Amino acid sequence: MFGLIGHSTSFEDAKKKASLLGFDHIADGDLDVWCMAPPQLVENVVVKSAVGITIEGSYIDSCFVPEMLSRFKTARRKVLNAMELAQKKGINITALGGFTSIIFENFNLLQHKQIRNTSLDWEKFTTGNTHTAWVICRQLELNAPKVGIDIKSATVAVVGATGDIGSAVCRWLTNKTGIGELLMVARQQEPLIALQKELDGGSIKNLDEALPLADIVVWVASMPKTMEIDVQNLKKPCLMIDGGYPKNLDEKFQGNDIHILKGGIVRFYNDIGWNMMELAEMENPQREMFACFAEAMILEFEKCHTNFSWGRNNITLEKMEFIGKASEKHGFSAIGLDKQKKPLAV
Amino acid sequence: MHNELKALLDMQTLESNKKQNSLDSNDQLSSNLPDFTTEAYKDAYSRINAIVIEGEQEAHDNYIAIATLIPQESEELTKLAKMELKHKRGFTACGKNLGVEADMVFAKEFFSKLHGNFGVALEKGNLTTCLLIQAILIEAFAISAYHVYIRVADPFAKKITQGVVKDEYLHLNYGQEWLKANLDSCKDELIKANKENLPLIKKMLDQVADDASALAMDREELMEEFMIAYQDTLVEIGLDNREIARMAMAAIS
Repeated sequence: MFGLIGHSTSFEDAKKKASLLGFDHIADGDLDVWCMAPPQLVENVVVKSAVGITIEGSYIDSCFVPEMLSRFKTARRKVLNAMELAQKKGINITALGGFTSIIFENFNLLQHKQIRNTSLDWEKFTTGNTHTAWVICRQLELNAPKVGIDIKSATVAVVGATGDIGSAVCRWLTNKTGIGELLMVARQQEPLIALQKELDGGSIKNLDEALPLADIVVWVASMPKTMEIDVQNLKKPCLMIDGGYPKNLDEKFQGNDIHILKGGIVRFYNDIGWNMMELAEMENPQREMFACFAEAMILEFEKCHTNFSWGRNNITLEKMEFIGKASEKHGFSAIGLDKQKKPLAV
Repeated sequence: MHNELKALLDMQTLESNKKQNSLDSNDQLSSNLPDFTTEAYKDAYSRINAIVIEGEQEAHDNYIAIATLIPQESEELTKLAKMELKHKRGFTACGKNLGVEADMVFAKEFFSKLHGNFGVALEKGNLTTCLLIQAILIEAFAISAYHVYIRVADPFAKKITQGVVKDEYLHLNYGQEWLKANLDSCKDELIKANKENLPLIKKMLDQVADDASALAMDREELMEEFMIAYQDTLVEIGLDNREIARMAMAAIS
């Protein structure tokens, strides 16, 4: 069995969904009620891969909402309780979706192995970051030519280059894709220098320097709302891949010849027959999902029951190749520009 | 959105602070332990400890009473009841260890309404209601409180409480199994009894929230732990999500 741990994108949204699903006791509750609500196993699904392998899985809503981010203890409990529920249900491999893996990493939850009478087994969980990184790279490779960008000569800026997904994307673009130039943007200098050394290439830039130079920008860090970016300074055409969570780039960049692609989203070859991705606001909820979720499904299809993506900067090219091949084999494909709305005019 | 980001950045700061705080210890929450020697701690402990001692005594009495309704289960129920007395002795020792005298008058009053409801149900021979009150609500209440307490208890009490929790799951399990096996015939009574008694549990939690807080036990965490234990049990009994949601309403509204 595979598992997906997800949550709503906002408190308002969460209440609507709870009402639809019949969880009336929390649907009408205020945020304090949600802070006390246990995780819910919301849905069970059966999924058949493109090569005919059938697996079963469960979707667990942690009852976390982004409004709880400032409540450190609450956020920690939501993640750990959802993980405990997944393990108690006997799920082999569970992906930590949305803020779940971010909270896990940032709060260093590795030290919280014992949850009540359950000892969490990390082998049963994956951040899904390897698949997300691979999907973002595929999206870049497939969509840049569609908007008239030649990959081999393109300048690609990776914003959030030193993170788990960002560093994997840099690694793949340098070693596999073959791009014109790599610009690496991140807050901290030290890991940037280490990454540059590892890759034996790439230029370290700040955001203001990098954006006007880039044909393609891969965002794997969220962007402060207060940040001002002058669209006039961007190259035209420019492909922006929004690989962060939550996805909010389209609020920021609007303009002719600026193409914004939701990064790290995949499409399954067939309808899945679940309700949950509707809740995640996918455009085609029966087929589309976050790549991190798909990673748990792929690992279950492959009977690869291990924490495939775990910790920071452990994503190797070999792992990306493995998950990428398995992804295509079982019927997943990266969503492209043609699956999305046209870029908005200024 | 930028509020979320700010929170995320705050999280990073929190995390680095946390790392520094816990460098000297592998025990996950040891840095948050309260001072067990203050008067404020002991004062709150005198009531919380009394509740626990009284709760274990009443649990003993309740299991013996339930045995009168199902004589064929008498042996098993007597065994459970004996365990509760063992727990009572353990928790009495916890109070003594801290030099605290348990406020038993407070504790008796604390349980009086639930105790009264149990008595009425027993008199009427309403086994389902008796099991719901003792083996589901009180046991889930106890388990949740003990789980939260273990994280912030003094070393002596921590060890004792860890031992108790293991037993309490057996008790929760007992009521669960019986209700599961008889769900068809007892569902209506279960839902009705829950509606009458779950709000009492919520009130009891609220009533001790300040004292629990003096022991570093967070109200929100207590309530969440209770809901987890309660929900798990109802799932095991065989109720579906919507039924559980409706039942849980009584705790929230």
